[in-house]
Amino acid sequence: MSPPLAWPMGYLKTYGPRADPATSLLWGLIILSLAVVGIITVLAVVGVIVRRQRGAIDDIAALPVERGAAGLAWFYIGVPLTVVALIGALAWTVTVLAAVDSPTVAPRLTIEVTGHQWWWEARYLGHDPGEIFTTANEIHIPTGEPVLIRLISADVIHSFWIPALSGKTDTIPGQTNIAWLQTDQPGDYLGQCAEYCGLQHAHMAIRVMAQAPADFEAWRLGQIQPASSPAGGALTTGQTLFETHCGACHTVRGTTAGGIVGPDLTHLMSRQTLAAGAVPNDKSGLSGWIANPQALKPGAEMPATFLSGQQLSATVAYLETLK
Amino acid sequence: MDIDHSTGASVARQSKRRCRGAKDPGLWALFPTPRGMTLLVLLALAGCDRTLGNLRAPAAAGGFIDGGQSPAAIDNPFEGQPAAVEKGKQLFTQMNCAGCHGYDLRGGTMAPDLTDRYWRYGGTPAQIYSSIANGRPMGMPTWRDRLPAAEIWNLVSYIQSQGGATPAADYQAGEQGDLAARPVAPPAGSGPGANPAAARSAHP
Amino acid sequence: MTAGERSPSRRHARSPLLAAVGVGFALSACHAPTTLSGEPAGASTAATQPQPGATGASADLAPNDPPGDWRSQARDYANTRYSPLSQINPANVAHLKMAWTFSDGAQFGHEGAPLVVGGVMYVVTPYPNIAYALDLTKPGAPIKWSFSPNPAPIAIGKACCDAVLRGWAIADGKLIYNLLDDHTVAVNLETGKEVWRTKMDNPETGTTMTMSAAVFGDKVYVGDSGGELGARGWLAALDVKTGKEIWRAYGAGPDDQVKIGGDFKPYYSWMKGKDLGATSWPPDMWKHGGATSWGWVSYDPELNLIYYGTSNPSPRVPVQRPGLNLWSAAMFARDATTGMARWAFQFTPHDQWDYDGVNENVLISIPWHGQTRKALVQFNRNGFAYTIDRETGEVLVAAPFGNENWASGIDMATGQPVVNPAQEPKPGETLKNICPTDLGVKDWQPSAFSPRTGLIYTPVINVCMDLTDHKQSYIAGTPYDGMEMKRHAGPGGNWGAFIAWDPVKGRTVWSIPEQFMVFSGALATASDLVFYGTVDGWLRAVDARTGKVLWSQKLGSGIISPPMTYTGPDGRQYVAVYAGVGGAPMVEDKQAGFPAHGNTLYVFSLDGVSNSSGAGMITTVAAGADNTRMAGHEAPVSGSAHGY
Repeated sequence: MSPPLAWPMGYLKTYGPRADPATSLLWGLIILSLAVVGIITVLAVVGVIVRRQRGAIDDIAALPVERGAAGLAWFYIGVPLTVVALIGALAWTVTVLAAVDSPTVAPRLTIEVTGHQWWWEARYLGHDPGEIFTTANEIHIPTGEPVLIRLISADVIHSFWIPALSGKTDTIPGQTNIAWLQTDQPGDYLGQCAEYCGLQHAHMAIRVMAQAPADFEAWRLGQIQPASSPAGGALTTGQTLFETHCGACHTVRGTTAGGIVGPDLTHLMSRQTLAAGAVPNDKSGLSGWIANPQALKPGAEMPATFLSGQQLSATVAYLETLK
Repeated sequence: MDIDHSTGASVARQSKRRCRGAKDPGLWALFPTPRGMTLLVLLALAGCDRTLGNLRAPAAAGGFIDGGQSPAAIDNPFEGQPAAVEKGKQLFTQMNCAGCHGYDLRGGTMAPDLTDRYWRYGGTPAQIYSSIANGRPMGMPTWRDRLPAAEIWNLVSYIQSQGGATPAADYQAGEQGDLAARPVAPPAGSGPGANPAAARSAHP
Repeated sequence: MTAGERSPSRRHARSPLLAAVGVGFALSACHAPTTLSGEPAGASTAATQPQPGATGASADLAPNDPPGDWRSQARDYANTRYSPLSQINPANVAHLKMAWTFSDGAQFGHEGAPLVVGGVMYVVTPYPNIAYALDLTKPGAPIKWSFSPNPAPIAIGKACCDAVLRGWAIADGKLIYNLLDDHTVAVNLETGKEVWRTKMDNPETGTTMTMSAAVFGDKVYVGDSGGELGARGWLAALDVKTGKEIWRAYGAGPDDQVKIGGDFKPYYSWMKGKDLGATSWPPDMWKHGGATSWGWVSYDPELNLIYYGTSNPSPRVPVQRPGLNLWSAAMFARDATTGMARWAFQFTPHDQWDYDGVNENVLISIPWHGQTRKALVQFNRNGFAYTIDRETGEVLVAAPFGNENWASGIDMATGQPVVNPAQEPKPGETLKNICPTDLGVKDWQPSAFSPRTGLIYTPVINVCMDLTDHKQSYIAGTPYDGMEMKRHAGPGGNWGAFIAWDPVKGRTVWSIPEQFMVFSGALATASDLVFYGTVDGWLRAVDARTGKVLWSQKLGSGIISPPMTYTGPDGRQYVAVYAGVGGAPMVEDKQAGFPAHGNTLYVFSLDGVSNSSGAGMITTVAAGADNTRMAGHEAPVSGSAHGY
């Protein structure tokens, strides 16, 4: 069963051991709450509709005061039931918290995710320094094993939230928070920044692509490679234009562009969207974004570039080789 | 004003209706006549032209570029804006300026002090802009291809906020060395979030 | 009989006899451990009593240049900076006075020492790297020729630590030196005309050249600078006749670029493996990883190996480059002919504080557990003085020679430091009081070895820092740095010191604290004198055995170049040193008393006597009856014995 792309941010149906216990708890508490609401509603309605027969009350003073034992039964039965239900819910909650706190096996893969205004940087760690690479906004994970996510903030508080896979964990400046992801179901899972972080908080999406281990390994090895040199001619012009105009903020390994202010673009074309999900990663989206990011995502850190038409098409042609 | 209790209508309203017949100009009172409006627009454009004129190529090849003020005296379009100063401060570290000019902008063996009154290539905002954009012979890199103009002005704003730049209006005094004796005092509460009015008043 | 016991009447003895005595002493020191009789004169200035000659260390002084010449920066292949001259000795050194001076007009820091060969002195200025030949046979040492190579000014803004030049070389009838803008140039010694000029790199990328070219045999060895700008480090060998590049060994990258092959045998197993110069970095970061070679090169003619070190890794923010970052902050022993590495040793794996490995490697032989071992000594930036077997790369001794708190010691099983985790910087956090600062406990300023005492004399830096790291982008031609530092004096309050070090036991024998840093390099002579200069301009002569300061002279600017000594054509011994502050010591230029810039070479002799000073020297001519004649052959009005 593939994740519900029709409701990409839905959290009622989840696909991993970090989220499933919470979802069960969610439904359980909903049912419990509905039951409570139902019972009370019924009792209230009954209480309102079913009235004592209005008999003649001639002498109010003569009515005996009876303490019906049947009334107290509501307390004798109701309170313990409630307490049991609440303690049960508490116990269930604590169990869920323990279950989602850390994975059952030690994660083999660690990804450092840094929240920037308004994009996500993902740095994959490995056993050797030669396995480290950096990408942005789209994280690939292998299925069937837990992946550790270290959450760092570059500026303000953001929140890392993939509804179908886990709850929210903030990125807080000055400290490193820990989250983890695991799923057995290959597919694309959408996420959003869940803590207001400025003008473009609403356009700070993140995607998790869960892949079968073999596919993930192929992707990972491809990401480690530097960008290949373009064939020549117009593409070389495009590379030079890119290095000059974009290299102060962006990195493409294999060229002289080594900026760390914006996302790493070494394998830009392996991503489905640009600007943290705001723009599709196709020729028109790329051209429009580069020409004037402020028109598509006002307030974004990337300034308008004022490239001429020729410069723009040469640069875009080069970028399209960065698979 | 009288109220007609039977109808509820105010007598004043009726009289206003009467005045309306004499053509109440309403909001249009704020604007001059179309002729005046045209004149205003032309004056504004001329002023524009005056400021930018010296940066354009001369109309006739080989002719003099006459009139107007020196390009060195152009104002920083982001003069005193705290957001520009803050962005410039970020860029100063991000673009590695701090590596040569120092995190305190006091310079060192690689690059000069940006907080004193001594500017080898001129210290007005436009001259600082030019140094950043075009580079300089002894190793200052060229940034006009690497940063859009607005970002370079942000950097200029940050450098100005440190107090040592030459005010645009005083550029000739700067050229003639008359500002060297003035003490360098960063504006009160300078830096991000500073009150722009306070920033301006501290500039001599 | 020690030099100190010679009778005063021999102060002005004729030079050939003294030269022979001096050479004899030096040669005897080569072949046997020195033993000097007699107690050291005067009180020691340190905690331990010095044992003259007891260290047993000795050195091969090849090529054994004529004692009166100074033909290379380090005087010999082993980099001892030891002169066989002894005309100036502890008994008469207090009579040293200025004989003549030479100003070269260059603004930047002066870090090289003059060379003297065949009665001519050769100096090269910092940028713009003008070479001067001074004729020592003529009074006033006039300029015989000068050579202006006109290096590109863009290089000035790419030199992290001033537009300096740390020396020059003479070989094959040529004066050979590096230009700041990445060219190596050779100038005819006689005529001052350019013979060849080779482009080695591109200053627009942030690469400059500041080191002294070193010539051994028919090859010129040169390397680049730029570890603070993400330059790619290398050391190259050029043909001395044509300047053509023969080989180039990079400081980081795959084995074929680092010239590591089948006969590479590092002593420690953690340096064995394929392409470690690439795999010990995140992908592709070695391409702008620093590991430049801007220091000194020594040479063992018997093993045919050259020894030199590499700089810090780039950027100077360690979290951006996890891994050991080989082969930065390390040293290589390479075959001098082919350039293939024989062994290597990394002093500071995954350097986090800018502790380069480029300092001079002094080649000495030491007694070690009953044998004699060929060794080398490097006073590393990281504060540890290493004595390393120069045939195998095994660390024999590693002991701190100044204040450091980044490591608790060296694990002798692996040679690796035991890093203090509290001193590891994290971006955005300010760490207080890390010792030493990025300048190290010793920087490039070179030490000197005396075969007579078996001690090595070295300047020491005592500076600590508060450090905040900022992650950096790589933008070619701009700093790839990221260290924000506030430096202050270390424990004791003195910014520097000058010490005598026992390389066999690994301990300081005596120490002279100095208020300012000591950045001058050291000179040791056969009369048991050691000379050094301070950043505030004091040139001092010190007793090599006791450390007693025998003579001091304040010069016009700070001294950041090594003193040297030579015999002039008049048979007199002279001591010469440049005074022109600049360079890395500029970090303390706000300290009260810091000198102004300068560019003067000072030459000293006993009582200042030389052919460039004294009474008379030219004749005055009486005017003729009509007051117009200015003939030069009239009877002199005031004559002198010297005439003109």
